[in-house]
Amino acid sequence: MGGRDTDVVLLDENGIRSDGRKVNETRKVTIKAGVLKNADGSAYIEFGGNKILAGVFGPRDVHPKHLSNADTGILRVRYHMEPFSVGERKKPAPSRREIEISKVIKEALEPAVMLEGFPRTVVDVFLEVLQADGGTRCAALDAASVALADAGIPMKDMVCACASGKAGDALILDVNNEEDQAGQADMPIGYMPNLGKITLLQLDGVLTPDEFKECIELGLEGCKQVYEIQKNALREKYFSSGDNN
Amino acid sequence: MKKFESKKRYVLPGDFITTAPLRLQDNVVLEGKRIISTTIGLSDISDDSVRVLSLTGIYLPKTDDLVIGTIKSVSGNSWFADINSCYQGMLLGQDVFGRGSYPTMDEMKARLNRGDIIYARIANSDRQREPLISIADKDLGKIDSGELIKISPTKIPRLIGKRGSMIQTIEGSTNATITVGQNGMIVVSCDETNGLLKALLAIRMVDEQAHLVDLTDKVKKMLESNGV
Amino acid sequence: MTGISVIDKLKRSKILDLLQEGKRIDGRLLDEPRPLVIDTGVIPHANGSARARLGDTEIVAGVKVQLDRPFPDMGDKGIFMCTAEILPLAHPSAETGPPQPDVIELARVVDRGIRESGMIDLSQFVLEKDKSVIGLFADSVVTDHDGNLFDTCSYAAVSAIITSKIPKWEMKDDAPVLVEGQESDTPITTIPVSVTMGRIGEFIIVDPNLDEWECLDARITITTTSDGNIVAVQKGGSDGFSLEQLVNCSELSITIGKKIREIIKQATAGSQ
Repeated sequence: MGGRDTDVVLLDENGIRSDGRKVNETRKVTIKAGVLKNADGSAYIEFGGNKILAGVFGPRDVHPKHLSNADTGILRVRYHMEPFSVGERKKPAPSRREIEISKVIKEALEPAVMLEGFPRTVVDVFLEVLQADGGTRCAALDAASVALADAGIPMKDMVCACASGKAGDALILDVNNEEDQAGQADMPIGYMPNLGKITLLQLDGVLTPDEFKECIELGLEGCKQVYEIQKNALREKYFSSGDNN
Repeated sequence: MKKFESKKRYVLPGDFITTAPLRLQDNVVLEGKRIISTTIGLSDISDDSVRVLSLTGIYLPKTDDLVIGTIKSVSGNSWFADINSCYQGMLLGQDVFGRGSYPTMDEMKARLNRGDIIYARIANSDRQREPLISIADKDLGKIDSGELIKISPTKIPRLIGKRGSMIQTIEGSTNATITVGQNGMIVVSCDETNGLLKALLAIRMVDEQAHLVDLTDKVKKMLESNGV
Repeated sequence: MTGISVIDKLKRSKILDLLQEGKRIDGRLLDEPRPLVIDTGVIPHANGSARARLGDTEIVAGVKVQLDRPFPDMGDKGIFMCTAEILPLAHPSAETGPPQPDVIELARVVDRGIRESGMIDLSQFVLEKDKSVIGLFADSVVTDHDGNLFDTCSYAAVSAIITSKIPKWEMKDDAPVLVEGQESDTPITTIPVSVTMGRIGEFIIVDPNLDEWECLDARITITTTSDGNIVAVQKGGSDGFSLEQLVNCSELSITIGKKIREIIKQATAGSQ
């Protein structure tokens, strides 16, 4: 249980970050759609060191019944971290952090999904963090969108997500774990790219009003990059070696 | 190639299709003046309407669809069947015993009981309540024997094939009788175990590889081989 | 996994019909397990990890190694514990919430198989007797459920343990201090392999898939070690076995166990 290394250089004199990236560079992102046999829709994402599995069931019957809505289907999201996903082993029971993140992700997806056509049903989204490395909620949201599309849940738009922030006095894109711990601001953003709507936004840290605007713009660039990767994951599963029948 | 086929395009949720003032059918939505896709599929624009043929998703009951269901419960004057959807199909006692009839619970159970498999038609699907199903027509009703399996409903057209070609190939080669529900439920019956296992495998292959161009050849090859 | 449907009598009789002909619904022989694929190092930040796929059942196991206090009556041994969770995305009937009896049984059976085999030499995990030891936690999560979680979970956990790297701690002024860059392999004495069999009617089938699992009269999981001994047994299900059937099962667990052991060895080769 050593102390945190507060001497980490987050940004060197050449504008290079602790993991070798430039300020406007995201980590490597890969997404695969349709990785589970039982789930109606699924996706697996690696976003830097984050490894997250998303599974979707639905629309399906709601249990317990009192949660069901006579006018529309409902969305349920569970974000959960495995005991081995973080540095110090985490106990399996849901923490307050996981519960809050589940809610925030749900509210990022609700503007996109169209469930009015399925009254009295639920769409369940399960997000499992197998390895965490800063920015899990954005990566989880990215995987969730792909899994929802894979399950055929009608959506007005995909939702893409990426965090921006501030470290070493510079605005940076895609905050990693070190930068999150020792930096000056961390701002996860969720975005519907075709409709131009921001549906997830949180901030931890200190930004001036100008920085705030710039930071969002920087984050949206990251979101758009991830959007292309989401689309390619779906294209690879559904549109490749296709017979256009 | 027909004129309309050149307008089919692969689309993802949120993708823009057109701004033409067309009638909206399946899987599209109007956002301002833009018609966009709500699912993964093929956009299909005709003279007066636009839709997207979805490549994924659970089964949603549509009136006149032929489906295979499993009776889950009997209650009051109706049976409720699992039709592989988020809604159960409701089969009225009257559909079976005649208009104005009041069958007893014993009479109902004697006709159709929990676990029985039926071939039915969606009589009325409005999302406000469970869809009504009917077995009144000829060729519908209880299916006495066979193995019940499930595939993705979006693969059913591929399983049937152009003018039934794929399903006939499988039936012909295995001597199996295959009843196909548009809800992705299928019943396979075959006197011979080997034929049964081959038919099941062929159906699995279609489910898993429907997108491949050479699927028909692969299935034929498997059917002609000796083992399973 | 609570919420599994009541035994489907129709399905059971169909499975039995096929068994009379020596066949199973997926084309396997009665004593044939499904193909097993094990990948290790799938969670690089953990001390060790593995993903096991037995047919369509998939489980990821991660090992975390941490400082701990020993159990009061076992001050000369490190800590070892297995947990398991069926993730809700693994099956439509999988529920969230506190673990149900079947998942608890799963974790304890996997734990017992590994512990009773003496696989990990826990005496090498002691930093200061009665005060400070190393704890190794093998946590498994089911990501796709198609029956026989017992074996899949065991293979994943065992593979993760074999390929784990144990950090080095030194006692300095009565407190353990981490020594960077001096990891070692897990001290392994044997490779326990679990084999689960089910009985439907008079037939014994090895590695039941989910369809078969729901129709079993009874099931048994037997864990054997590299030297051919049986170290852990768990019978489950609402019915029983005859003595003859149990002897048959024990023999199967040894012959099949040997083959599975080779797969585990290959998958974990080069790490020790």
